[in-house]
Amino acid sequence: MNKESVDLMRSVLDHEIVDADDVPCGMVDDVELSGGPGARLAVEALLTGPGAWTDRLPWVFPSLVKALVGRHTSRIPWTEVASAGDRIKLKSTAKGLGLNVGDGKLGHWLGRIPGSEAD
Amino acid sequence: MKALELFLGILTAVGGFVEIGELTFALNAGSKFDFSLLWVVALGTVGIIVYGEMAGRVAAVRKQPVFHLIRERAGLTAGLVTLIAANLVNMLTCAAEIGGIALVWQLVSGWPYRPLVAGTFVLLTLAVWFLPFKWIERVFGLLGLLMIVFVAAAVASKPDWQQVSGGFIPQLPKAATSSEMWLYAYFSVALFSSIVLPYETYFYASGAIEDRWKPKDLNLNRIIIIGGSVLGSSLAVALVILGSQQLSGREIEAQLPGTAALAAGISLGRWALIAALAGMVFAFGGAAVETTLSGAYNLAQFFGWPWGKFRKPREVPRFHAAWFILLLLSTLLILSGVDPVSVVEYSIVFAVVTLPFTYFPMLVIAADKRVMKSFANGWLSNTLGWLFLVLTTLAALCAIPLLLITHGGRG
Repeated sequence: MNKESVDLMRSVLDHEIVDADDVPCGMVDDVELSGGPGARLAVEALLTGPGAWTDRLPWVFPSLVKALVGRHTSRIPWTEVASAGDRIKLKSTAKGLGLNVGDGKLGHWLGRIPGSEAD
Repeated sequence: MKALELFLGILTAVGGFVEIGELTFALNAGSKFDFSLLWVVALGTVGIIVYGEMAGRVAAVRKQPVFHLIRERAGLTAGLVTLIAANLVNMLTCAAEIGGIALVWQLVSGWPYRPLVAGTFVLLTLAVWFLPFKWIERVFGLLGLLMIVFVAAAVASKPDWQQVSGGFIPQLPKAATSSEMWLYAYFSVALFSSIVLPYETYFYASGAIEDRWKPKDLNLNRIIIIGGSVLGSSLAVALVILGSQQLSGREIEAQLPGTAALAAGISLGRWALIAALAGMVFAFGGAAVETTLSGAYNLAQFFGWPWGKFRKPREVPRFHAAWFILLLLSTLLILSGVDPVSVVEYSIVFAVVTLPFTYFPMLVIAADKRVMKSFANGWLSNTLGWLFLVLTTLAALCAIPLLLITHGGRG
């Protein structure tokens, strides 16, 4: 992204992330910022995964839901973002960024069932 | 080939309008209140056309299905509540459809109910796993059309057409007691809800993306949603007429799918009975597939997983695991011995509660000229969209109190 500013609430948070091949690889569940009072605020990375979104839930739900769905979080450096709009498009593939890792094992297992190659 | 896209609308409508819940609600509405609830069917039909068209348009233009919009505009917490409620409704509806298929199968074969539930689960699993999306649309959409026998049966029952047409004017029952008024209000909300079931828009928008619609397909979108909804609505009207003509005054309450088939059989004979039973199997099957796939679409879209029948299963394993688990849970629920019709009655009432949360983000995006540009809502879509948002919100607020006051519509 070469834009100086971006509307994080409207164009980034809770938007779908797709990789360079347009494969979905999560939602923007949180945003990592740097800077502080008096300093320039900058986006460092996008966070995706239950560890990121559960923290945004109210009351006692963050710890309760984490116990249920885990706390895995993937961090995508902002420099990897190609464009932000309806969806966040990345410059690399999901595999290259270590995203959708859980799909590998399950996909391998499903791949052994007849009919799994059809589309 | 584009004409075959019509089957997405037909499956969406048949699976939404004449699933087991609509079947019993519409028959009982006719049986209890003759034609005086037909205006609710017409109102619901306009509502599903308005929001179905918006869902298809946003999917074709932005390639975004409904749960992306919900997550984007309603935010994480409200979106998550909607997701849980929507998938609970999907599971309950799917359970009821599986039970409905097993009941029809039992009626024809005389075999025990629970093994038939298990058999239904196996057949539906094989259908969803092996059939490409287009063939799911065609098989369940085309064979669900056998339900047209109910329209023929309604015509053959020789209703007073002047009274039927009078039913399309909004009205209250004449000289009714207060308990009858509550019952009428409950049936109005339930019938409306059973027509504008939220999973129809989830499935329709996801189906538009499965079928790779583009902005140039927007006219097709209108034709499909209007054609499919009018077809589904005609079936619902036919069921209300049959309920009035065949069940009213005979103390018959439609609590089993066989009652609907019988109503068709009384008017047209044996072959109509067979067509009605076969049509019900495919209509309920279509609704079961629609709800189980909707559940998986919702989860995948909300959490950003790769999804779709257009991708190879090994590329979208969480999506396939999700629909299978939903189908399995629905089957286990119905195997526990709960009555399918009671399950669907509750699911329909709870479904209406999720409607405003589904429709509001859709309306906001479809009306947003910044994101939809020249494809944004016109004045008609905006006016009708807001009107139906208000109506669904009112229905959502009234649904559960009415369910409790009328003891689930039993008065």
